[in-house]
Amino acid sequence: MIGLITKDFLVMRKTLMSYLTLVVLYIVLAYLDLFDYGFIITFIQMVLAVMPISAFAYDELAKWDRYAMSLPLGRSGVVRARYLFVLALTLLTVAAGLAGTALLYLTHQSDPLEMFVTLMVSTTIGLLIPTILLPVSYKLGPERARPFLYAIVFIPTIAVVLLVKAGVLDMSLLKGMDLLAPTALAGGAVLLPLAGLAALGVSYLISCRIAAGKEY
Amino acid sequence: MKNCIEIKGLCKSYGDFSLNNIDLTLPGGSILGLIGENGAGKTTTIKCILNLIRRDAGEITVLGHDNIREEKLAKQDIGLVLDECFFHDTLRPRDVEKILAPAYKNWDSDLFRSYLDKFGLPEKKLIKEFSRGMKMKLSLSAALAHHPKLLILDEATAGLDPVIRDEILDEFLGFIQDEDHAILMSSHITSDLEKVADYIAYIHQGEVVLSDAKDAILDSYGRVGCTAAQLEAIAPDDVLRVRKGSFGCEALVKDRAAFARKYPMLLVERTTLEDIMLFVGKGEAK
Repeated sequence: MIGLITKDFLVMRKTLMSYLTLVVLYIVLAYLDLFDYGFIITFIQMVLAVMPISAFAYDELAKWDRYAMSLPLGRSGVVRARYLFVLALTLLTVAAGLAGTALLYLTHQSDPLEMFVTLMVSTTIGLLIPTILLPVSYKLGPERARPFLYAIVFIPTIAVVLLVKAGVLDMSLLKGMDLLAPTALAGGAVLLPLAGLAALGVSYLISCRIAAGKEY
Repeated sequence: MKNCIEIKGLCKSYGDFSLNNIDLTLPGGSILGLIGENGAGKTTTIKCILNLIRRDAGEITVLGHDNIREEKLAKQDIGLVLDECFFHDTLRPRDVEKILAPAYKNWDSDLFRSYLDKFGLPEKKLIKEFSRGMKMKLSLSAALAHHPKLLILDEATAGLDPVIRDEILDEFLGFIQDEDHAILMSSHITSDLEKVADYIAYIHQGEVVLSDAKDAILDSYGRVGCTAAQLEAIAPDDVLRVRKGSFGCEALVKDRAAFARKYPMLLVERTTLEDIMLFVGKGEAK
């Protein structure tokens, strides 16, 4: 299983390195006040969303699945490796986000709580995307799963905009969060990615079930 | 001598194609060649052995382990080379080791490197720069590096030049010197199987139509060349299949010596596995 996680990192090493270079560049630009911190966070979210699907696409190109399922790992072992790859990516991107937060706090006295909450929210969204996309990819393959990526990103965004315009959703309610104690806000923010992890756990069980019934 | 693979009553249906009641045995210290036309069921049989597809009926035992209940245990001792190289183009041979070593308890880094050296495969070169022959040698190095007892090869020598094929076949012969080792080898290149196989199983339209020791098949079966009139004179029970052409007729006989005694005026030649496939695939019953 460790070998398969290593494989994902090895296959994606060039992509990962270019993403990490961009993150570092964005942090430097944010440090120079040329870029908004929020953009870095959105970028991290995008990396989390796209990388697992790209890993599936590379596997399909190499017809890797048939070989992987022939290894003495069992089908659930192969699925587990892909989910652990997502978790490892999450840890990497959160670490990069926290480093950026610390840097900007130390140098610009930016509000660390706001940046931390933004990071936690974006990490949660970044976790929810593979939560939905991984079972879909196991079921349909990466090519047919790709439209779901756009649907997951755009449908909620469009829905929120429409609900706000229709007056159903009142965004001013978010300002009420300012009234919360900083510790309560930080605590609540930490709960969000934990909920994302729980959802990823359920997603793993669904993917195992799909892989168990699949023929390679 | 233990059996490395035992297949009993294997059935698998896809609707338009089905494997019917496949029985196969692969004794230790031997090579079983699986022959058959494209789509005959060879790869489906191998997929069933590897539990890549669900079988409808039957039992498969690999190295004494049930291939489903004890799948991981059985696969620890299987080396696999399929018709393509499944390693990503962006990987290097040394990456392959990082990926596979944690999966196998008996992975031997020194052995893997010695195979890379033996086959002339540079550790740091990208796989996308490898020729097909080099890719197959890499697959074989990866398949042998964990000291497997059973090698499963699905069209592993397809598309390779005779020199590389010969080199790889030598490796297979070396592998089965150990009585506990065995090879299941599916191939269209029947001349390769005539060189190395001990047993032959011919799968035709999802059924095993011939399964015997290779030497027994080649020593016993024969090909008769004759005219249409001579063919008419042969009793239907004395030939298995016939092929009729504009220049004459051919017949496949099971017992060459007995046929020659009964029909001394007709010339019976030794046959090849390819002849047998052509008789079964393109010929007809008399």
